[in-house]
Amino acid sequence: MYTLTSILQILVYPGILFLLLLAFLYEWIDRKFLAKVQNRYGPLYTGPSGILQPFADFLKLLSKEDIVPTATDKILFSLTPIIYSVLPLIALFIIPIESQIAIISFEGDLIFVMFIFTLIIVTVYLAGLGSMSRFSLIGGVRAALQMLGYEIPMGLAMIGPAIIAGSLSISSIVHWQSVNSVWIMFLQPLGFIILTVCLLAELEYVPFDIPEAETEIVAGWRTEFSGRKLALIKLGKDLELVLSSALLTSLYLGGAQPAWILPPVILFIIKTMFIVLLFTFLRGIFARFRIDQTVSGMWRYLIPLAILQVIFIQLGVGR
Amino acid sequence: MKIENSIIKKLRALLGERLIGVNIQKERRIFIKVTREAFKETIKNLVNRLGFKHLSTITGIDLGKELEVIYHLSYKGAIELSLKVSLPKNEAKLPTVTDVIPGALLYEREVHDLLGVIFEGHPDLSPLLLPEKWPRDVYPMRKEENLESLRKAIFENSHVEGL
Amino acid sequence: MWRGFKTSYRSVIRVPFGPQHPALKEPENFTFEIDGDIVINVKPRIGYNHRGIEKAFEQRTYIQNLYLAERICGICSDAHTTCYAQAIEDLLGVEAPPRAKYIRVIIAELERIHSHSLWLGIAAHEIGFDTLFMYYWRDREAVMNLLEMISGNRVHYAMNTIGGVRRDIRSEMIPKIKKGLDFLEGRMKRYMEIVKQDLTISKRTEGVGILKQKDAMDLCAVGPTLRASGIKNDVRADDPYAAYDEIPFNVITYDGCDVLSRILVRSEEIFESIRIIRYALDHIPDGMTRIRVPMAVPPGEAVSRVEAPRGELIHYARSDGTTKPERYKVRSPTLGNIPALCKMLLGCHIADIPIILAGIDPCFACMDRITFIDVRKDEKWVWSMQQLRRHTKR
Repeated sequence: MYTLTSILQILVYPGILFLLLLAFLYEWIDRKFLAKVQNRYGPLYTGPSGILQPFADFLKLLSKEDIVPTATDKILFSLTPIIYSVLPLIALFIIPIESQIAIISFEGDLIFVMFIFTLIIVTVYLAGLGSMSRFSLIGGVRAALQMLGYEIPMGLAMIGPAIIAGSLSISSIVHWQSVNSVWIMFLQPLGFIILTVCLLAELEYVPFDIPEAETEIVAGWRTEFSGRKLALIKLGKDLELVLSSALLTSLYLGGAQPAWILPPVILFIIKTMFIVLLFTFLRGIFARFRIDQTVSGMWRYLIPLAILQVIFIQLGVGR
Repeated sequence: MKIENSIIKKLRALLGERLIGVNIQKERRIFIKVTREAFKETIKNLVNRLGFKHLSTITGIDLGKELEVIYHLSYKGAIELSLKVSLPKNEAKLPTVTDVIPGALLYEREVHDLLGVIFEGHPDLSPLLLPEKWPRDVYPMRKEENLESLRKAIFENSHVEGL
Repeated sequence: MWRGFKTSYRSVIRVPFGPQHPALKEPENFTFEIDGDIVINVKPRIGYNHRGIEKAFEQRTYIQNLYLAERICGICSDAHTTCYAQAIEDLLGVEAPPRAKYIRVIIAELERIHSHSLWLGIAAHEIGFDTLFMYYWRDREAVMNLLEMISGNRVHYAMNTIGGVRRDIRSEMIPKIKKGLDFLEGRMKRYMEIVKQDLTISKRTEGVGILKQKDAMDLCAVGPTLRASGIKNDVRADDPYAAYDEIPFNVITYDGCDVLSRILVRSEEIFESIRIIRYALDHIPDGMTRIRVPMAVPPGEAVSRVEAPRGELIHYARSDGTTKPERYKVRSPTLGNIPALCKMLLGCHIADIPIILAGIDPCFACMDRITFIDVRKDEKWVWSMQQLRRHTKR
């Protein structure tokens, strides 16, 4: 009985099926809101207000021809889309969605999530490498370079809540926030901002979308993928969006907690939607930084600020 | 008309007999013709001493028995002076002006591509507009080439890679 | 895989840009030799939009050539027809009537506004600022509506003819034009503020694509590229044509010599154009819009220059007394800016290439025009099979 519930949890709710639905929903929110910012319609026809558009795009890509250029490294080329779409799923199991305890939670799972983020970028780099085309190579290298910039501040900003909650488990951090009836965002606003900026870079959103800068290197590391592989990559991107917003919510906005009669999952969805809107808004109002500007800016500004935030915590501010 | 007239006077003083034709067509439009030998000297004087610093373009014309190359220079953006030089068709060579006006680089390549004029001293006369494998002696803008002959040139060489 | 590894410690990689590339709206090929992230050499190859227009000019009558001249380019079509009409009018020894000259000015300036706002949107897109791109193009619709009201077309207005203009600007159109201009002025002011203040835009455009004043003069650059390096040359002011000698206006220059200056020059030129149109609308004389011209063009030659949105456009016409021109030469501004472009690109980062390329406002359709019949796909010219194989297999 217990095993059956676990399997259902993993596969359906709040597992894979639920997460996939969330991924499509958030992609729709992102596209629609960006369109409004840019004074155009966005998805319009498929389903009410275009809400089925991401799903339709996914189906369409699945049915398209999957072209594999002869020069590619076949193993890397076929595996990286799969890995890229699966990694965020794994990380999402660790984040509490349905209740204050995630499906998988153990002491130190925060570090595990950080590790998954790094693995995602390594996969991106390998995808660019495996495609063996000039544009993909440059895109993959740029993604790796960008990670050099944001990995440290991201780690520091994720540790801040852990220090306060006294635990390296995301579920414990969420629990701590509900027990103390406070959102860590108000205690550590600096950490919240830093983590937002780093997640923008990790998601490859403007102003940090150098790895896939369309006007310079076609589509960066994704240039050569088509058909099913591209569908998986797009899905992976959406799942990364869900992961980033879920992480931000759990660490700083209180995560999945019940409020009045609403179950935790509803609150979780509302908070993550707000984060998605924030990401999209930031995406719409900036131009794109060059890779050297990104990396140097992060080392010069973000890392000192992140260190400052940790110092603050140690000094007792934000406890 | 004062400036135009004074420019012509200075040129006459510099070139004397080698200034073959002068025509001030209207305000700010001068057309002059010089001999081939005097050409480079005229350009140097126009650019360095008379202030015609801007080269608008270089035109090449096929007049049947001879080719005419026209350099359109402009004085302070206002007066346009067109300098004409005639060349015999079988010996279409002219010294380059890129040492005096670096901006003439592409214009000379264009005239070379399409009319077959060789500019001696040009750093790089590789094809600008025509593909690399274009047949050597077919110059598209010459009068003997019409649509039919050009089609033939492309199709007969279609087995050549790169065309 | 990396060719340079074998020969030297610092690998030089050749990156092809074009002929098909998302940064280029029209095909053109540049081969960049890069060292790490910096460009050390540029080789341009143009000719992909080669349509054989100059040869085609020689085989059509003067009136047919008017329509051919218009289709040299979609965005600066009016500049080409104005230049052509002026050249043939010079050959015939006639002048367009005063009212026609004012209408030519109005249409030319409307086209300049249209072209500059199109370019500003594209420049924003090149640096990744899609929102600004959408806004510019939305407001560009206002200009296109005005042009459609006057001429019936959104591009290729077909307003000019030899001897004048084909349509009149009726007096009931004038208040609508003025309203459209007021709307445009307000929006463009707002965007100019954004451009001047936004941090991300200035980081991508300030100090990028430097073209020093001396280089600009030596390499014979034209248009806003020249004026952004501090040189005050503008055909409308120096060599006035149409009604420009009667209309007061400023020539905009900036001293920055970089892409940001080019953006600012073009933004301010939009304001100048709006002022010119307002003045022209207020002072337009009554009278005929065209005069009848004789069919036979006497032998002679003429040089005609116009300030197209991209720079100095020059046409040279030679007639031998027949119904078809003996030679018609067109040199459009983009070709004049290519040597300057190559100079600008040396020493820049790869990421800056699109915005520098876009900085000269390239219009390759205008640029490649000489003779032959294009029957093949372009890729074969650049990459022969060996090169293609080498590129992919490495």
